[in-house]
Amino acid sequence: MNLVNQIAKSLLQPLLAILVGLAAGAVAIMIVGGSVVDTYAEMWKGAFGSFYFFTNTLARATPIILIGLGVALAFRAGFFNLGAEGQLILGGLSAALTALHVPGPGWLKLTLAIIAGIIAAGIWSAFAGWLDTRFRMNLLITTLLLNYIAVYFASYMVSHPFMDRTGSAAMAQTPMVENAAWLPKLFQGMSVHAGFLFAMIGTILLFLYIRYTVSGYEVRMLGGNPLFASYGGVRRGRLMLISMFVSGGLAGLAGAAEVLGTQYRFIDGSLSAPGYAWSGIMATLLASSHPIGTALAALLLAALQTGGMGVERNTDVPLEISSLIQAVLILFVSARISYSFIKNRKKARAAADGSST
Amino acid sequence: MLLQMKGITKAYGGVIANKHVDFSLKKGEVHALVGENGAGKTTLMRILYGMETPTDGSITLNGKPLQFSSPADAIANGIGMVHQHFMLYPSFTIAENIVIGREPRRFGFINQFRAISEVAELSRQYGMPVDPRRVIGDCSLGVQQRVEILKVLHQGAEIIILDEPTGVLTPLEVKELLESVRRLARSGKSFIIITHKLQEVMDVADRITVLRDGEVTGAVDASGTNVDELSRLMVGRDLVNLQRKEQTPGQPILELEGITLAGSGSKPVLDHINLSVHAGEIVGIAGISGNGQSELLQVISGLAKPDAGALRLQGKDIKDASVRQIREQGLAHIPEDRYQWGVAKEATVADNGLMGHTDRYTKYGLIKGGKVREMVRGWVERFSIKTGSLDTKAQHLSGGNLQKLIVARELEHRSPFLIAAEPTRGVDVGAMEVIHGELLKRRDDGGAVLLVSSELTEVLKLSDRILVMYEGRIVGETRAEEASEERISLWMAGGKRQ
Repeated sequence: MNLVNQIAKSLLQPLLAILVGLAAGAVAIMIVGGSVVDTYAEMWKGAFGSFYFFTNTLARATPIILIGLGVALAFRAGFFNLGAEGQLILGGLSAALTALHVPGPGWLKLTLAIIAGIIAAGIWSAFAGWLDTRFRMNLLITTLLLNYIAVYFASYMVSHPFMDRTGSAAMAQTPMVENAAWLPKLFQGMSVHAGFLFAMIGTILLFLYIRYTVSGYEVRMLGGNPLFASYGGVRRGRLMLISMFVSGGLAGLAGAAEVLGTQYRFIDGSLSAPGYAWSGIMATLLASSHPIGTALAALLLAALQTGGMGVERNTDVPLEISSLIQAVLILFVSARISYSFIKNRKKARAAADGSST
Repeated sequence: MLLQMKGITKAYGGVIANKHVDFSLKKGEVHALVGENGAGKTTLMRILYGMETPTDGSITLNGKPLQFSSPADAIANGIGMVHQHFMLYPSFTIAENIVIGREPRRFGFINQFRAISEVAELSRQYGMPVDPRRVIGDCSLGVQQRVEILKVLHQGAEIIILDEPTGVLTPLEVKELLESVRRLARSGKSFIIITHKLQEVMDVADRITVLRDGEVTGAVDASGTNVDELSRLMVGRDLVNLQRKEQTPGQPILELEGITLAGSGSKPVLDHINLSVHAGEIVGIAGISGNGQSELLQVISGLAKPDAGALRLQGKDIKDASVRQIREQGLAHIPEDRYQWGVAKEATVADNGLMGHTDRYTKYGLIKGGKVREMVRGWVERFSIKTGSLDTKAQHLSGGNLQKLIVARELEHRSPFLIAAEPTRGVDVGAMEVIHGELLKRRDDGGAVLLVSSELTEVLKLSDRILVMYEGRIVGETRAEEASEERISLWMAGGKRQ
């Protein structure tokens, strides 16, 4: 009863945001002269219309879910980790290089590549956490700026030292990973790969972790009221490093899964261009950092994106219609954030006044 | 009758906050509204002030039936309210704070000269001296309280509601405030004072209405009643008079030597504090808040690190220990500001109760949820904490019930040393009795308790020894038997150690 209530409550806002988003999309469709019903029907078909399209949506949702989970964990602890982009790319790059250069059988390469992706991204993310605990550098800014370093570093790595020089086309990419080290596809001929299982398992594990473990409890309290947590003996610094490591690690896993399950090599820009990282952050915001909600929101965003491609293929309405709907979603979500931000500011002010008395 | 509220009923869902409440106010009267937390005092006043709509009942002002839809409406009809937490802008001057909303203007700008002269005139007229040019942030709380009242008067209020007006004031400021209230009442203003401090009620009120569980249990003239009768009406039974039994303190549990904390200003926030608390002893620290008590508690509990000095708990050096280590060494801590330190408002009652107890309720890193709920449910029963369920968010509990939850949580540790900072701030008489009883019991069982309170009566009632803090130093120490309110008040105001 209580749980049902809680779920219904947490779903209300996102559903409302989606409805408004679709309504705004409808207006835009009418302005460009398309048929609203046809366009949305095409969008539905593009996302869920056949088994092929459905698995396509799942494949796209995979990195978004994993990234969203990582961001959700950090948000729950009160840390605004905006570094998913850089963490994703470092994870992908590390996975590709490990799979290419570590000797051994395919399954070993695969396992080590995934672990390398998680660890590289986790350390990158925990580094920002360390800068916060050690030098009080604002996490929001460090994570954001570390993205640039990661992106350009990866770009350099694949356009110079590790560039694929076998083909005639000089693309900024690594050579292809050998077949045996690929993440298996879940269905013959479909794009969804085993990474999706990681995403599902990750969702459940994170849900259980936050709800039932002591450390998850401490994360929640730290996010709820940092002063209360420190008063109760929660070690903020330690918890920050751990949660940032796991948060980044999940983004790294997303990158590794994309490289090993879809592209089989690290291609410069291929992880940034689809906007996985920002979609992940959006999914988290839509679901108020609830793990299961985040996974559902990620699926929704992926469906909007693959559906948008369907719209572009079959109607005169451009692909950007999806971006427009997403943008309206973001607006709605950010309206809620700034609202709660103002509320918190007021509370903090009141608390400051109270303590000075 | 100036104001008449008849048969006021207010229901929130199934919960009835006010049940057929009658309340009236004569011109020039001081009418105290007393009752425990959750008795419905605030709800009744929120209805009068236009912040809530009653489910049933009528309000008449000067014989006219009225129903306010907003505070602005109430203000326009001459009703003003001074809230428990002051609503002033710290960086603006007194004059600016008072004229806000009805500023004298000149070419679209605020006319500072007129504002200042208006406020000076107002201050003179009502005999409440303030310097209109001073910035609020630099003023004492007593002065801020005065500014709040002047603001309401400037809005043209004839009826003034004061919500727990003396909570943050020093004894001297309380006296001044009560005198001002009496003087204003003589000049024709009418007051409604919401409070739970019965002695002040007896000092200032003409009439008293007592609420319990949303119903009026008594409406009496102050001249025809006494504190005992009032508390009986409030609680519904006689209160036990707590007695401290004679007891010789044992080993020192907490020891501070020369503890100094620099702070940001030129003066240290804590200046060579020496103190010790022994087993079986309650040491009370009196003082006006803001004289270093908060910082002292933070240093003891490990939330702040001192710049110099020694700090021992049960003989072990804890100067560089973490909060967790100090708690493990035997400290429990009822924090002074429950919302800032004591709870996470968005978290549930059960989650808030678990804080600090995680080590006891864990297996393989998992929380033993059932056991935790059992423990918290026990507290809810023993301290009669009013909460919807254990899954209710802490923010939905009233301040007093939240305080009981925090007290129960910290007592549960059964630690050798307990910090009790403002343990009964904002709680009602019944709960206060329970909390005081628990603190004394802890002492009788050989616990060491450091009590910090801005309520002098509380310090006098519970402590074996009393220290007074002023500007980061301990300026006076006395045994409870030899303590007098006068001497302590003098120390609190910065008088020298005799």
